[in-house]
Amino acid sequence: MKLVIFNGSPRYKKSNSSILIEQFLKGYNRINGNTVPVYYLANKSLREASEKIFRQADTVIVFFPLYTDCMPGIVKEFIEIIAHQSTCSESKKIGFVVQSGFPESIHSSFLEKYLRKLTLRLNCEYLGTVIKGGVEGIQIMPAPMTKKLYSQFESLGEYFGQNETFELKIMNDLRKPYTFSRTHIRFFNFLSKFGLTNFYWNSNLKKNGAYLKRFARPY
Amino acid sequence: MRITILDGDMNQARSDYSIFMDELVLLLKKDHSVDYYPIDKMELQYCSGCWCCWWKTPGECSQKDGAEQIFRSYINSDFIIYSSPLMVGFTSSALKKIVDRLIVLLHPYIQMKMGESHHNKRYDRYPEFGLILQREEDTDEEDIGITNNIYDRLALNFHSKRKYTRFIENTNPKEILNETCNI
Repeated sequence: MKLVIFNGSPRYKKSNSSILIEQFLKGYNRINGNTVPVYYLANKSLREASEKIFRQADTVIVFFPLYTDCMPGIVKEFIEIIAHQSTCSESKKIGFVVQSGFPESIHSSFLEKYLRKLTLRLNCEYLGTVIKGGVEGIQIMPAPMTKKLYSQFESLGEYFGQNETFELKIMNDLRKPYTFSRTHIRFFNFLSKFGLTNFYWNSNLKKNGAYLKRFARPY
Repeated sequence: MRITILDGDMNQARSDYSIFMDELVLLLKKDHSVDYYPIDKMELQYCSGCWCCWWKTPGECSQKDGAEQIFRSYINSDFIIYSSPLMVGFTSSALKKIVDRLIVLLHPYIQMKMGESHHNKRYDRYPEFGLILQREEDTDEEDIGITNNIYDRLALNFHSKRKYTRFIENTNPKEILNETCNI
């Protein structure tokens, strides 16, 4: 199979999607020696030429972050380009990996329905949508905190290399939690009383000298 | 009433859709203050994901490309109309371009809302919205359900509410006017 990966993060190579792709390919390449090309949709000229790349691939995986409850605008443009110019007569396979800053997978589950329908509309085979929440911040987390996540993506890639599909159990594990339990919500609300849930934001605001302006309302 | 219209039409030629929207804007302008933005005709950039608006210049986007006037209109409006022909089963990339950038109006802090994590308000109030769409040849009930669901999620995150979804094929500007102004 000729596998092609599109990275739909506007953050380009410095994105969390890039890190997940790297881990995925670590596992995938263990099985399949071929070099898998990764195309960045943040690159405008690449985006405009993406239809040809899409058409020539046997299998496509699109990784991207959830943006305002949906795909980022650049990914929507990509979808419009490939849908406008090609209908897949051959049995092309498409899968998606959607990651979000929100920890619960419910946020991405509505988009998942769109991605399934899109694949049918393109007359392609749907490989499923991997959903992973709580990804923002992984670049500054200490290694022990990301070890499990990276290992899951590596296993996902390895299984994909062997079976050309996503492994269901890993997909289900990555989706947890779908929503928070009542205990978790109570715990969150307790921590938020002391401002502890804002640590990530506050540390970045302070680093940028913007902490005192954090509640600004310029408009 | 102040109304902001974010129009995601990407068709350069005159069409049933553009005629409908022209009529609607004219009608609304008779008695209301209307800020109409044809997004695809403006030279706006996509959100770059830099999050300057959350942790470097709180509340302000780093890209100074004219979107500032849209942010100002949006947050000071009584009602928002998102409009777009459906393209591959969802509203256009032009409309998504500006919707992505509206995060400038939210605060990065997280709260629990209806049992889910959502961003805090940056402003006291956020306008409700309506959705005006044009069907594609193959639009079905599932597409409409998916689009409504995604905009309902957007409403939840933006402390707002979707008041209606209407299709230009089976409504007219006057009906939209009535529905918009009877909020």
